[in-house]
Formats: sequence, structure tokens, C-alpha cells
Amino acid sequence: MRKNKQAAPAAFKLILLCVFAALVLLPLLRMLLHISPESLKSVFSSAGIGGILAQSLIVTLTATVITVLIAYVLAYCLERTGIRGKELFRLILILPMLIPSISHGMGLIILLGNNGILTRMFHLQTSIYGFWGIVIGSVMYAFPVAFLMLADVMHYEDCSPYEAAKVLNIPRWRQMTSITMPFLRKPLISVIFAVFTMIITDYGVPLMVGGKIKTISVVMYQEVIGQLNFDTGSVYGAILLLPAVVAFLVDLSNRDKGSSAFVIKAFPLNKNRGTLAFSYIYCIVVSLLTVLPIISFMVLGFTAKYPNDMRFSFYNVQRVFDLDGGQYLLNSVLIAVLVALVGSLLGFMTAYMTARMKSGLSRLLHLIAMTAMAIPGIVLGLSYVLVYKGSPVYGTIIILVMANLVHFIASPYLMMYNSLGKINENIEAVGQTLRIGRLRLIKDVFLPQSMSTLREMFAYFFVNSMMTISAVSFLATTDTKPISLMITQFEAQMQLENAAIVSLLILLVNLLLKGTIALLRRRKLRKLGASAVLDH
Amino acid sequence: MDTLKDKKTKLRITDLSKNYDGKCALEHVSFDVFQGEFLSILGPSGCGKTTLLRILIGLLEASSGTVALNGKDITNAPPAERSMGIVFQNYALFENMTVLGNVEYALKIRKETRATARQKAKEMLALLGMSEYENKKPGDLSGGQQQRVAIARTLVLHPEIILFDEPMSALDVDTRITLRREIKSLQAQFDTTMIYITHDQEEAFAMADRIMIMNNAHLVQIDTPDAIVEHPADDYVRRFVLENLQAKADSIRRFVRG
Ligand SMILES: Nc1ncnc2c1ncn2[C@@H]1O[C@H](COP(=O)(O)OP(=O)(O)OP(=O)(O)O)[C@@H](O)[C@H]1O
Ligand SMILES: [Mg+2]
Repeated sequence: MRKNKQAAPAAFKLILLCVFAALVLLPLLRMLLHISPESLKSVFSSAGIGGILAQSLIVTLTATVITVLIAYVLAYCLERTGIRGKELFRLILILPMLIPSISHGMGLIILLGNNGILTRMFHLQTSIYGFWGIVIGSVMYAFPVAFLMLADVMHYEDCSPYEAAKVLNIPRWRQMTSITMPFLRKPLISVIFAVFTMIITDYGVPLMVGGKIKTISVVMYQEVIGQLNFDTGSVYGAILLLPAVVAFLVDLSNRDKGSSAFVIKAFPLNKNRGTLAFSYIYCIVVSLLTVLPIISFMVLGFTAKYPNDMRFSFYNVQRVFDLDGGQYLLNSVLIAVLVALVGSLLGFMTAYMTARMKSGLSRLLHLIAMTAMAIPGIVLGLSYVLVYKGSPVYGTIIILVMANLVHFIASPYLMMYNSLGKINENIEAVGQTLRIGRLRLIKDVFLPQSMSTLREMFAYFFVNSMMTISAVSFLATTDTKPISLMITQFEAQMQLENAAIVSLLILLVNLLLKGTIALLRRRKLRKLGASAVLDH
Repeated sequence: MDTLKDKKTKLRITDLSKNYDGKCALEHVSFDVFQGEFLSILGPSGCGKTTLLRILIGLLEASSGTVALNGKDITNAPPAERSMGIVFQNYALFENMTVLGNVEYALKIRKETRATARQKAKEMLALLGMSEYENKKPGDLSGGQQQRVAIARTLVLHPEIILFDEPMSALDVDTRITLRREIKSLQAQFDTTMIYITHDQEEAFAMADRIMIMNNAHLVQIDTPDAIVEHPADDYVRRFVLENLQAKADSIRRFVRG
């Protein structure tokens, strides 16, 4: 009888393994197998390849360093100092995460391009196109992610070693080298690799402001989308996979196993006047720089004809909707909702299996779910074309949902894995002795305790599906096109005012979703507060 | 419990062994537990105490050997069919439910009506002096209070045997001493058999009718506290139990003399 009880979960894990294999491993393998000696030769013997690789690397490294530095100082200001308005700053700083990467490039052009708002205002002579354009755009795109990761690290750093050091009179610089550095090393490496991967695989920013500089991701995009050249596209895809795989392996070996169990002592907030003043100035400047592109979208999108006719007008909005923008917006919302629903469910089930029913199969499942993190969106898109072309799902909304699901599942899965892992290890044992079945425990104990993580997962899937342009650009048809791809379309026709409106639409939908989730959470908190009051 | 010999055997453990992937955690362990008895298990970390307890309640399968309850073989019975409850060191409460919800949950599932389930849960909480915390969440309670809820959650099903795995290791001394008394009085009231793992020799000697000493996956001695003090089975027991007690007694003597 017991043997049968073990068989059901194992079968379920096997099914999940198959799902992940079909969604993650199969496409990847298919793409790698698609590489032929000829296409390898044609890529590596082409004239510009050395330059492309070198430029990609240099531009990405530069942007990564700047991103991490900016984000680190920002995280310090918001986690360790006593400044006010942290919630507001946080809200503003997260805004860039709600619009597509390509919009960040576009924001730069609107502000600093040849006819840009700031260019005209200050009669600037410099050109934004090229190296610094990509760097600045990439920083704008990546710093909120780096900021969130670093803020999290600082939040969970233990203050007690520093207090001990103070008592022992250990000098400041020794504290830095003997406490801060060893603690920061692992998370910092993770952040650096995550940012590096994010930037090098993105084609939105360099496509917009790259000018003469071409990065690998742009070349791959142009090969596949522009010339339908899947053979060389696969080679570029494999190249792009490299940093992501390295990042993944480093991260995997780096991750601490559930170190959150012990009590940590929070840092006292730094209220030194100089530090406070600096923090305010820094946060305000970064916040301004963050909202500047969004303001520029509004300026450009809601004027009749920039720069000649600056009267307020809905003409550009009208035009977006005349060009089926409404339909595409609906497509996007439908895709985002489906991805969020299916993704949250799949993420929860998988995390439950790996966090609460440990076995060899669980470890394998965990590894495959995490592997999804290593696949850049545009590699995923191409892989899906290669595998699913000709199947019934191809050309439907389903394949877009599948691709997004895989593209975004790793982070929410990990959130749930950590959250379920923190729940008392003996709950199942108690359930067994009280004759409370596994499914009932899931419904009455695990789900209720994971609600806030589940909401976070849902939001993550939704927001990212709304704004992604990478995998979907390979898979969408005119019927299934998500609205984010209108930005690429308008960009190609140099109709930035319409692209600006589309960016704003995406931002608006994502803000609405985030707002709704925040409201849900607040209502829940209020309810908890009320019941606490009732108790007295 | 002066005449243990007359007691009815509640639980009979025969030749129990457990291997974890070749590593031996329990070797040929046999003993009886009597009806209504309080049995403490003592032994160094890693000697197999938790392993034994999990096998007794059916959370873990033994590699060989049998467990019989009231003369009936239950070696392969599922945990819920053994009429046993377990209390863990880390409480393992359902954090999302109130105190009352924790205690009545299992009753509700057993198709008791809502009203009777609630009533029984309330009575049990009253017995443990937890009535005023009924609507609190476990997270808002002290360790001692949480452990009381865990005990109530188990006791409300009226199990024949309750197993404790170091239930007080995370609590402060004062709480331990009060809770000790409460557990003993509950045991008398419900005539429950209790098997109680602890690291605290003094606790074992204060609470137990009999003490079982384990070392290195083996059962070394099982007897009344007096008998163990008078006739330790071997050097190990002498050192493990008596020297510790001696040290404690000395410190108390010193404390009393000032
Ligand atoms: N799931 C497991 N897999 C492999 N070995 C295990 C497992 N559980 C326990 N062990 C090993 O079996 C031995 C006995 O463990 P057990 O937990 O029963 O000890 P214990 O007496 O309860 O110790 P403690 O006082 O520290 O709780 C230990 O050496 C332990 O490392
Ligand atoms: Mg133990």
C-alpha cells in the first residue's frame, strides 16, 4: 500500500519532467543540432565577425560595470540610510522594468537624437548613436534589476559581525576586507553575471541606438527576422547561449542553500547628515533620469507633430488604434494572463515537488527548471521556430504562451521554491499522523501560506509577457501579434511618436496590474490588522 | 508507578533495525512500553533517537523488525492508523490558521460536525490554559505557547500514545519546568502512554517512569531511574548519566549553600 503512495508523486514528477523537456530542452537541442559545419564556417569566416564579438563584449562589460555601480549606491541609499520617501523612490526606480528594452533605446533617441528634445533645448552637438548610446540604454534597462537584487542582498546581510568588529576595535578597512568582501563576493558575482547576460542578449537597445555598432544579438535578429537565415542564426544563437550558460553554472555553484534560516540582525540606518544629503540628491537624480524617457514619450506621443506643431493632440493614439493597436493590445493581455495563470500553476506544482518531496527526480526537475533561465529570449524564439514549425500550435497564440512561459519561469519558480522550502519541514509528517492528506495540506496550508509569493509570480509573468519583444518576434503572426512588437514595427518606419504611445500603453497596463496586486495585498493586511484588533 | 511488572504491554518493539543507504542508524533494538507509562529516551546526538520515533509512528520504514500495538502488528500500518500523535521540537504548526483552527482542523476532516469539532478544540485549549489565545496566529505566540498548541492539536484526537521529539529544547528554563508539570498532569488525566526524547538528563529523571539509554544505534539500558542510578549497565551509562547528574547536583548543592 505504501509503495503505491510513493508511485503517484513519482509519476507526477515524471510528467513535469516531460513538460519541461518538451518546452526547454528539446528546442534547445534542436537549435544546436541545426548548426552545420557550413554555417559555422560562413559565420566565422565572415569579415566583421571578430569586430562584432569584440564590440559586443566591450559594450556589455562597460554597461555592466556602470549598472552595478549605480545600482549598488542606490541600494545602499535605500536600504541603509534614514532617508524618507523610500517607497516613492522604489516605485519610480522600478518603472523601467515595466517597459520593453527597445523603449529605453527609443527614449534616448527622443531625448538626445538629432532632433531630440534635449538636443534642441541645449543645442547639443554630440551623437547618441553608437557605443555610448548602447551603454546608456542598456544601463537604463538593466539597473532596476541589479538594484532589486542588491537591495535584497543588503536587506539580508547580518549586522552582528560589524558590531563585534567595532567592539574589538578592528579598523574600517579591515572590516571591509574581512567581513564585507567575503559576504558580498557570491551575491555580487551573481548580480554581475545576471546583468551581463541580460545586456548581451538584448537586441532592443542596440537595434535602436547602435548606429554603426552591431552586437551579436542584433546580427542574429537581422539574420533570422530580416533574412530568414536560420542556419547562421543558430550559430549566433549558440554564441549567445555561452555567457548565459556560464552565468547559470556560476550562479548554481554560488547559491547558498537555504541560509535564511538563522536570525539576522538588521543594520542601524545611517543618519549622518552628509550621507543623508548625498542620498537624497543621488536618489532624486537617478529617479529623474528614470522618468525622463517616460516624460519624453508623453511629450512626443501627445503633440500634433513634433517638433513643428507642439499642440496637444490624440492623433498618435488614434493612429495606433487605427493600425489595429487595440487588437494587438488584447492579444498581449490575453497572452500575459494565460502565461501568468499557467506559469503560476506550473511554477507552484514544480516548486512543491522539488521543495517538499525531495528525491533524485526532484533535483533533476529543479535543474531543468533553472536551465530555462540560461536561454536568452531570442535563442528561445529561434529554437521554437525550428521545433514547432508545422505543428498545429505554430502560428497560434498557444506557441507564444509556451515560449513566454519558458522564457520567464525560472525566477518565479525560484521564488516559490524558496518560499515553500521555508515552511516547517515537519508539516507533512504532522499531516500524516493527523490523517490529513497531501492534497488537503496543499489546499489548506501550503497555498494559503504562499499567496503573496503566488501574487508576485503572477505579476512577474504578466509584466514580462506584456513587454517582451525577444522570443515572440520570431513566433508571432499578424493575427497573434502582441502590442510590444508594434514598437519594432514603428521603429523600422521611424515613427517614434507612435512607438512612444505603444510604450506608454504597455506601461499603463503593467502599472494597472501592479496596482491591483498592491491593493489586494493591502486589503489582506488590513484584514489581518482588523482581526488582530478584534482579539483584544 | 511502583509495580511496572503488572502493567499491560502497550507497544512491543522487536529486533528493529534501520539502515540509511548502508549507514546503520538503529541496530537490533527490542523493548516493551507499558500502558500509561512515561518513557524517556536519552542518548548522544546521532544515536538514532529520532529514527526510532519516526519508525514507531510510521513516518519511516524499518529495514527489519516489527512494531506491535496492543498485541497487533502495525509495522506496515500508515501513521494515521496507529493511534499515535507526535510533537516536534519546532512545533510544526499551521502558520496560516489560528490557534483554534490548528486544533480543530483534524477533527473537521474526520467528519465531525463543525460545532462539535469547535467545542472539543476549545475544551482542549482551555485545559492547556490557551483559551485567551484561540484567535491568534502561531507566529504571535511564545515558544511555550506554541508547544501547548501542538500538544492540544495531538491530544484532541485522543491518541493512545504520544511521542515527543525534544519538545522543549528551544524553550527557556522556566517554561520547561511549567510545561513538564502540565504534560505529566495531562498524561495522568488521559492515561496516555508517552515516549519522550530529551537531551536533558535532569528532565528525563524528573519526568520518566522508565528511562531508555541509547548509544551508537544500540539500546544500552532501559530501566527505572532508580535502577539506572544503582546499577548502570556499563561504563558508558555511568559516565553519560551519572557524571552529568553529579555535576548538576554539585552545582545545586553549591547554590543552596550560597
Ligand atoms: N534521512 C537520512 N538519511 C541518511 N542518514 C540519516 C537520515 N536521517 C538520519 N540519518 C543518520 O542516522 C543517524 C541517526 O539519526 P537520528 O536523527 O535518529 O539521531 P538522533 O539521535 O535523533 O540525533 P539528535 O539528538 O541530534 O536529534 C545519524 O547518524 C544521522 O546522520
Ligand atoms: Mg533527533
